[in-house]
Amino acid sequence: MEKFDVAIIGGGSAGLAALKHLSNLGKQAILIEGGKKIGTKNVSGGILYSKNPAVGKVYNVENIFDNFLKDAPVERQITKYILHATSKDKVFSLDITPTHNYQSNFGYTVLLNKLLTWFAKEALQSAENLGGGIVLGVHVKSIIWKDENTIIIETDELEPFQVKAVIAADGVNSEIAQITGARSKFTSSELYQGVKVVVKLPEGLIEERFEISENEGAAHLFAGDITLNHIGGGFLYTNRDTLSVGAVYHYDSLIENPVEPNELVNALLSNPFVMELIKDEVPKSKDSYKNLSKEEELRARFKSNKLIKSWKDLHQAYYSSSRISDLLASGLYKTKDDIKNKIDSIHNELVSKYDIGFETNYVELEYSTKLVPDGKRGRMKKPYYKNILFIGDAAGRGIFVGPRIEGINVGIDDAVRAAESISKSIDQNNFDRLGERYSKLVEESPYTRDMNEIDKNYLKTFLDCTKQVPKDIVGHRYGTIFKLMSSNTLRNISIGFANTLGYKRLLPILESNNTYTDVPVEIAERAGRDLQKSYSITIPTIAERIAKLDYNDDSLSHIKVLNSQSDFMKKMVTLCPTKCYSIENERVMLQHEGCIECGTCAKETDWKHPRGEKGIIFQYG
Amino acid sequence: MTSPLSSISQTKIKENQETFIDDTRKENEKEIEENYRHLYIVIEQEEGTILPVSFEMLGEARRLIDDFNKRYKPEEKVVAIILGHNIRHLCKELIYYGADIVICADHPELRYNRNLLYTKIISQIVTDRTCAEKITSSIHPVSTATTTPASLNPIFSKPRYMFFSADDTGRHLSSTVMAELESGLASDINKLVINDLEIRHEHKTKGKPIVYEKTLEMYRPDFSGFLWTTILCLDNLNPDNKKKFHPQACSIIPGVFSRIERDTTREEKIIDFDPNISQEDLKIKIINRRIVQSKVDFNNKKTIVSFGRGIKESPEQNIKLIENLAKELDAEIGVSLPISKKPYPVSENLTSTYMIPDRVIGTSGRKVNPLLYFALGISGAVQHIAGMKESEFVISINQDIQAPIIDESDILIKGKIEEVLPLLINEIKKHKDKLQIPQGIEQ
Amino acid sequence: MNPDGTLNTAVIVKLEPDFSEGNVSYNADGTLNRAETKNILGPHSAVASTAALYSKVKYGSRVSVATMGPPIAEAALQQSQLICDADELHLYSDRIFAGADTLATAEVLKAGIKKMANGQPIDIVFAGHRASDGETGQTGPQTAWKLGYPFIGNVIDYDVDIKRGYVKVQRLIKSYGYHDIIEEIEAPLPIFMTLDPSFIPFFNTISQRLKLARHQKEAIGRSSQYKEYLKVFSAQSLEVNSKAVGLPGSPTIVYKVEKIPRAKANRKADVIDGSSQGNIGQVVTRIYDTLGGTIIK
Repeated sequence: MEKFDVAIIGGGSAGLAALKHLSNLGKQAILIEGGKKIGTKNVSGGILYSKNPAVGKVYNVENIFDNFLKDAPVERQITKYILHATSKDKVFSLDITPTHNYQSNFGYTVLLNKLLTWFAKEALQSAENLGGGIVLGVHVKSIIWKDENTIIIETDELEPFQVKAVIAADGVNSEIAQITGARSKFTSSELYQGVKVVVKLPEGLIEERFEISENEGAAHLFAGDITLNHIGGGFLYTNRDTLSVGAVYHYDSLIENPVEPNELVNALLSNPFVMELIKDEVPKSKDSYKNLSKEEELRARFKSNKLIKSWKDLHQAYYSSSRISDLLASGLYKTKDDIKNKIDSIHNELVSKYDIGFETNYVELEYSTKLVPDGKRGRMKKPYYKNILFIGDAAGRGIFVGPRIEGINVGIDDAVRAAESISKSIDQNNFDRLGERYSKLVEESPYTRDMNEIDKNYLKTFLDCTKQVPKDIVGHRYGTIFKLMSSNTLRNISIGFANTLGYKRLLPILESNNTYTDVPVEIAERAGRDLQKSYSITIPTIAERIAKLDYNDDSLSHIKVLNSQSDFMKKMVTLCPTKCYSIENERVMLQHEGCIECGTCAKETDWKHPRGEKGIIFQYG
Repeated sequence: MTSPLSSISQTKIKENQETFIDDTRKENEKEIEENYRHLYIVIEQEEGTILPVSFEMLGEARRLIDDFNKRYKPEEKVVAIILGHNIRHLCKELIYYGADIVICADHPELRYNRNLLYTKIISQIVTDRTCAEKITSSIHPVSTATTTPASLNPIFSKPRYMFFSADDTGRHLSSTVMAELESGLASDINKLVINDLEIRHEHKTKGKPIVYEKTLEMYRPDFSGFLWTTILCLDNLNPDNKKKFHPQACSIIPGVFSRIERDTTREEKIIDFDPNISQEDLKIKIINRRIVQSKVDFNNKKTIVSFGRGIKESPEQNIKLIENLAKELDAEIGVSLPISKKPYPVSENLTSTYMIPDRVIGTSGRKVNPLLYFALGISGAVQHIAGMKESEFVISINQDIQAPIIDESDILIKGKIEEVLPLLINEIKKHKDKLQIPQGIEQ
Repeated sequence: MNPDGTLNTAVIVKLEPDFSEGNVSYNADGTLNRAETKNILGPHSAVASTAALYSKVKYGSRVSVATMGPPIAEAALQQSQLICDADELHLYSDRIFAGADTLATAEVLKAGIKKMANGQPIDIVFAGHRASDGETGQTGPQTAWKLGYPFIGNVIDYDVDIKRGYVKVQRLIKSYGYHDIIEEIEAPLPIFMTLDPSFIPFFNTISQRLKLARHQKEAIGRSSQYKEYLKVFSAQSLEVNSKAVGLPGSPTIVYKVEKIPRAKANRKADVIDGSSQGNIGQVVTRIYDTLGGTIIK
């Protein structure tokens, strides 16, 4: 049997950071990833933070990946953080950039497919020299202890192999946790469900519309009627030439009042304020070519598709200064106006010759969902089992406090602590105290502190931002949270107030319909700007969204329904983001082909990740 | 095979027309008469079962040689070669189906086709003087019975023509045998004509027109199914580079030629050939052989649903509809050859399940004869038709009612697949309910 | 085999029209428009390249890739190298090779294979099942015969016993009118094999997967610099007999090319308008009639 020092299960941000750091420490590690390519199974909102806490030390991405600041394919550095309260055609906007900057080195928007591919490249370079590396398309199915310190890993695809320690980085639906019994599945109160669409928009338009410079980015958060009465909110982040538009809601609140995830993101997309931010000029698709013979029709289709492709490409390029310089350097165009003229002439040709119309709409690229663990409630108190260390989402370690949503950075911090612990065990050739050592290191992390107690200074920073909310516009019926926001005096004593109230009692106040829906609606109604819709938006149906996704279908289902008549499973008919469940004769039926592996249904199913290479292939993530 | 057409005269020789025959040609013809004779067919059998293509080759050979013998002298024969073990009893079947003579190599080591060994033994047989003499004696029984006058016993060196089957085994065997015999080979032939042709070729004839007599015109459909390429195997008569190329050989597409009626009155002439097997050639060993069930089951399904390039406008959606239709009718799914070249970017799973050679129906794939055959978006290239024409009832869906598939269809539904199939599936479901077919009964 | 016991392998590839939608162009009469159609490494050549990669990962073999054709055929070598991380690329290119049929092509390939790996003998030659444009499937076996290598076709799996110098091969045999058969063959090296289109290499240990990843990465680098690995041979540098190659070495010629005349109609089709639900209903009735009371599962 082949032997290696360490196996890392899962090639997400945490797993790859662990591989990189172990390699940095000179330790041989094999990373096992189920996807055929890195980054095809990962979804994030996505902002990647680098933090600088006042007390204690966290390990940041740039500490692990030396070239991060120079080379990493990040999207934009967030310089504006804005919270919007919405109600129908009204919006009230609040600049909360200080909360973003709070104890923060930076926050970049990221698309995980791109970023993780880079992580993998960097990690692999170091790992290979030590006889380690990344193995793709492999699904771990069981773990056997040969003796206390020897773990045999069995997979669906490969011959079994042997390691001394394992880092489980297999995400919120960790199978390793289930196989070993290290923790039970997360309950609905320990989870959020996130849903996101990636929207295409030329980079120049992004900069103009969001009032940011070439390297800057904006993050917009939404509360109010767009939540459809759920606890959570919407977000819209600017990437280089795309936008991440989505929503995250408390799973408890979704179970209580099920709404289709795509409806939740649609509520945001069809908000008039959001509509203005995402709009673009779009050629209309054409399905009939009347009066043309078959040959002529084929020719027309071929030609017009080609023209549309070059129009789209030039349209994108025209709004990108770097692409413009490239085009000018290529000698194809002499001036920027030349490019514009070319765009216009293609446009005209399409309209006049091929009868292709143009409209204002938006361009959606990818629909995705993900469960987010709430570290406050669900994190593993002892994130290990024997020689297996759990990191990131697998250990339930996400930070979710008001507008503060962090996961990737926490996973990276865990990864370093796990790698350090294992490295020590290897050096001492003693794995007896590995788990405890790691657990202790994790307890020391400032992130763990943030999951244990609310950071009062952060709360104060946030409340200070709400100064702009006009006073006395809302009655007192909304209770504590509004009082906190609306009174100068109270804001100033909020730290003391939070202390008095205590974390346990503060949470339900913060995480309530009042906070996320009622108060924002009231604010928007009374103080919001009026908005008008300038176009009518065409949002893809869920069927169209699924059709656009790329799958490597597995004929075998990776999910088994345990009780087809339970209340929970009946709710899955609504809550499954890709409509894998339906009801026939009072029984819930599963069609797994459209599954995007979010784990929403995992609680009451026999839920496994698909076999190697199978299942969803996210292009953006 | 891309010799410039412009350099070849395409005129066939008309009767009574005075033709240009130079010395080279005369000399050449004489040699052919003496050295290269008969049509040899390499029969394929598996475990004592003669494969259908063997009978089809015999049928076509019979027709060609009967015609040949009417037009030319001296008389030539259809010679079947069969290799195997315990296959002696098969020889008379080959006679009944058109062979004049069967050369049989029956040997334990020849039980299965091993390319190296078979190539050597076949090459031995077709260049064997003793066999040739026995064939000649069958033509001139009186004279050979006593003495063999030299004039009647020409120096045989190789066959005039040779046929192989165009399945994988035959294609490989034909290639290696012809490499050994150093002659030309055309593959996947579906039409054969013997003619005297006047050829003017930049190399073969150094640009001069020369008549090649008894030339086998071998027609092969190209991959698109729209073009027919005629291949000739010709001697180099160019004085700078003279070379004989015989036999003129081809591999024949299974299923295109018809067999002749079985005639048990035909005289049995069987020559037993004792193969010369070297120990060296036995180093290649067959360790194990097992029959496998293809995942694609065309034989046990009553219905086959096939699709072609007509799915192009929405390939993913169409394939899924086709899956549904197949499910409703308990049908197997087939494809046309172009689909196996994976022309559309559909999901990996659909690609690896359907866009594969295993599902191709036609001359490059399987021949099928279901009760019900659907041709969806298939224009009807000859290769495809050869694979499905035996179906009982054919329904095609096509936007173009001029497409050749109409000639092989009982019903042609004019329309787009994506529009017709939902209606069709719906109707099938409706009727199913009405019929109230009892559940759980297997046919 | 090399003195250090590693295998020498060769791959024969071909540049072919790209039949994928958007790249292939057909004339109005349905024939291929070669001028407008892009050319790529043929799909069967890609499978052969994959088989060489398998040998490289599993046995650390050295791989040479060869093709005969005009200079643009380099593209096939480059694409093959991207698959199999080839150590050497051979292009056999000479005006006098033009017009070659399979036998004359085999003559050139034979001469080329003998020049691979600095003249070290090649243990395994891989080639595709057939070309997707020519579809004759003859060049592989004929090259094998000329080399004096035993030929094994339709290979779906193989395993080399380096110590004994033997290869064990699984091949899939399909014949019309008979069952499909999987045959297991053992043969001494050297061997010439063509790969069945269904050949999929399977790497089932961590070390093989790691080696695979390394080779795939290396292949990207190499193929971007493929010219450094490329050797171009003319008839003279190959030392072939000019009378055995190209037109002079080809027994066959293309006599004519014509459109296949439409066959006589075998059936008289009822043409039905597919947009009417009622019409479709009638079709379904006939479907059930045809299936004649048989049970549709």
